[in-house]
Amino acid sequence: MSSETEQDVPAKPASPRKGRLVKSLIFAGGGTLIIAALGALLYESGLIPGLQRGDQTVASGYFQPPSNDEMPDGAFGDSVRRGQAIFMNTATNASQHVGNGLSCANCHLGEGRQPYSAPMWAAWGRYPQYRAKNDQINTMEDRVMGCFTFSMNAQHSVSGEPPPHGDDIYRDLQSYFYWLASGAPNNTQMEGGGFGTVPKTELGYSPERGQEVFAANCAVCHAGDGQGQKDINGRYVFPPLWGPGSYNWGAGMARINTAAAFIQNNMPLSRPGTLTDQEAWDVAAYINSFERPKDARQGDMTVEETRRLFHDGDDIYYGQEVNGVLLGVGTPDPVRPVGAPE
Amino acid sequence: MNNYLPLSIISLGILAFATLMLVIAPGIEMARPEPPAGLQPYTVEEQRGRDAYVSMGCLYCHSQQPRAPEQAPDGERGWGRPSVSADYFYDSPHQLGTMRTGPDLLNVGARLPSESWHLTHLYQPRAIFEWSIMPAYPFLFEVKAEAEEGDVVVALPPEFAPAEGVVVASQEALDLTAYLLSLDRTYPAPQDGIRDDGYRPRGDAE
Amino acid sequence: MTADRRPEQDPRHPDEHFEPYELDASIPWPLLGISIALGVWGAATLFDTRRHEERAQVERVEDTQLATGQAVEPGHALFEASCATCHQPDGLGIRGAVPPLAGSPFVRNGPELVANIMLRGIDGPIRVNDSLYDGHMPSFASVFTDVEVAELASYVTSRWGESNRALEAAEVAELRGRVADLGSFRGGAGVAEDTGFALDEQPTFASGTSQPVSPEISALIFEGRGGQWSCASCHGDLGQGRENTPRLAGLPTDYIVKQLGDFAAGRRINESMAVVVAELSNEEKRALGVYYAGLRVPSNARPDLGGDLERGEQLAREGDWSLTVPSCFSCHGPSGFGVATEFPPLAAQHAPYTASQLAAWAGGQRTNSSLDLMEHISSALSAADRRAVADYLASLPPVPAGSGDMLAEQGEGQ
Repeated sequence: MSSETEQDVPAKPASPRKGRLVKSLIFAGGGTLIIAALGALLYESGLIPGLQRGDQTVASGYFQPPSNDEMPDGAFGDSVRRGQAIFMNTATNASQHVGNGLSCANCHLGEGRQPYSAPMWAAWGRYPQYRAKNDQINTMEDRVMGCFTFSMNAQHSVSGEPPPHGDDIYRDLQSYFYWLASGAPNNTQMEGGGFGTVPKTELGYSPERGQEVFAANCAVCHAGDGQGQKDINGRYVFPPLWGPGSYNWGAGMARINTAAAFIQNNMPLSRPGTLTDQEAWDVAAYINSFERPKDARQGDMTVEETRRLFHDGDDIYYGQEVNGVLLGVGTPDPVRPVGAPE
Repeated sequence: MNNYLPLSIISLGILAFATLMLVIAPGIEMARPEPPAGLQPYTVEEQRGRDAYVSMGCLYCHSQQPRAPEQAPDGERGWGRPSVSADYFYDSPHQLGTMRTGPDLLNVGARLPSESWHLTHLYQPRAIFEWSIMPAYPFLFEVKAEAEEGDVVVALPPEFAPAEGVVVASQEALDLTAYLLSLDRTYPAPQDGIRDDGYRPRGDAE
Repeated sequence: MTADRRPEQDPRHPDEHFEPYELDASIPWPLLGISIALGVWGAATLFDTRRHEERAQVERVEDTQLATGQAVEPGHALFEASCATCHQPDGLGIRGAVPPLAGSPFVRNGPELVANIMLRGIDGPIRVNDSLYDGHMPSFASVFTDVEVAELASYVTSRWGESNRALEAAEVAELRGRVADLGSFRGGAGVAEDTGFALDEQPTFASGTSQPVSPEISALIFEGRGGQWSCASCHGDLGQGRENTPRLAGLPTDYIVKQLGDFAAGRRINESMAVVVAELSNEEKRALGVYYAGLRVPSNARPDLGGDLERGEQLAREGDWSLTVPSCFSCHGPSGFGVATEFPPLAAQHAPYTASQLAAWAGGQRTNSSLDLMEHISSALSAADRRAVADYLASLPPVPAGSGDMLAEQGEGQ
């Protein structure tokens, strides 16, 4: 019928061509609407999985390790779970080998996932590696043994030593790290790995200035005396930063540059990056200007010999006098190994 | 266009359908007269207070229908869970209201359970909230030289207290307060309670 | 009417009688398509809404029952959700802080004792094998139903004790009635004495005398004074709070004193509290703090904001690092019992109160958090997240407050 009309009224203002154009426009618009409506329907009903919001949360630009609800089942999954339990609560789940109040998770935040908090997904693919610290090739197991020896001060623990090579503790921890690194590249320096660095400042670092920074930004959680705080059941909620309950002089965190980087990139918790370079250096110097358990490598050597052998040229107060006290002698040994029954 | 018959049939059909879906069906769905276990009938005093609430037109500024979290942050305001039809079992006529010049009051008895607070607030809202736009109701109170036996004295900050004597609540003020305190629908919603849960976007992210 | 209604005239020269006419035309298919598509969409939306309603119904039932999981092994899911935070998933506890369940004489004595301890809680030192634990086990009476207590007690004793007896919900109900007014066990010795079970040698409970309340303070709390309403008229006779009136029972003294001071100084804005604190002296503030810190009240908080409890649990226990939000428990303690005075207990706080405070921090109406920590965390959370975490915290057992002295000592001693 419509074609008939067009033929019969050739002199109408609208030309047939224009009519056809309008018609096709209507068709195109209608088609678009239908497609949009159907598309919206499909989106609403979740039939387009790739478009769902949940998959778009990868915002940070760093490697995204799997989340806890993606943990596998079976024997490997059990090992990963045990590894995570050790990681989060080292003093309980590796109780024989922890000689202070710290856990792995105190320095490796976000269950070992947080970028610039030495995340385990970045560390996994970096070992075996040559380390000048002990002048040999280190496997991941060697590296974790170092953590027990220095950061967890194993010589004050019940067993008096880190877990021996081949212990299940290493097995489970490595399962956990391996799982966290699912899909991560091997033998590559990954963005967000380690603690990062803080550029040196003109003023250098000073514990005196650091004391003010500490009082203003850290004491709320770690207490004015830096000994951390416990909950009403006596569990450490905020770890001790120096003294007998903290890491010993051989730990990486005892170096002021390492501590400064960790602090600037992670502290105060929930507000990383708020301290200036200068403040980070100063407060790291303050924290590391107190006595702590002695370096596990000292053995029969004097502090000066140990300093020359292991700490020469480092940003560390080991073997130096601060406020008239020689640091590095170590806090006194506990009466009873840490965690031993009464 | 001369074909009136189909037009009338279609329009009547649409009207009938709309009536069925929007009036009759909800009516059937909501006609389940059963008070929730946690809801008590109003006492005589509360009922008198309710009459005062109606006569003073509280309804014009205060609603009595907390919304679902997806619709409004009423829960975070402390206004309580979304109301269900059974919550209004003893309310006739209900005081749902449409204006929210002031806060929703369906759970005011739960979030402000202090009688003396309400008396102060009714006497002079500005004694507590200096920015309040609620009218004061001084005519519900009486200034006496001294409180007599059984009088309820209104606690007032010094700058709002009368120079001499004390402010005493009238029976009507006490009734109204009793009604406000009875507004408490914080018991769990009946499981068959009808409520508008609003639109919850996919993924529940926001 | 003729079949052809068109006027017989040359359409190129319409005269003044020209009538517009309309041709019979079939409905164009785009229009038809749009109508059908809209119809389908509408029907699907109806169906969709129905699904939401059903889900909301289910959630409401779950919220009311505080069900934490209906897994195949009911006790296991409950244990993971509510006990493992302290006693650890493997039941080994935490060295020096939380006693183990595995090998514990308390667990070996069967599910009745375990259920009893869950209902009453323990304050004061207990001995498990060779180690002393001087901590606080909260009462779960207000958190778990009889069925849940029965399931948990049976699960714990079958896994770590030597009992295979399944406790019945009816037995728990009977037990609940018997112990309702007894309060917490007073240390391991109290457990042994009250129940008569053999529990090796248990340390005795050094009873800390709770501070007596002076008549003036008592009047302030229960009757008010001058232009002030009484504390109890809003916060309840036992400081239990309701809706967005916070629970005060068990909050540390110093925290309460600080908040009262902040209300007075305008660092925390609440008009009603401003009226109340205007006439309080510093001594009175402290006395009130001591009173409320020492109160022990079962929880009356319920997760009733419709938040996603799973998400809430995740935020409370793991945080969301993609938002730079650490877990609540990383500062407020692993069970939300609070740490010293800066980090108040969150467990059993009313969900509307918690959510409204988070919203106030995010919106800048509350600004009294150290280092602005809470301001930043709250701003990072969405409204749904705030509801979720507030609901989860409301579902936890309350802090097992001892006397105010005891808490202050714990806080300062560490």
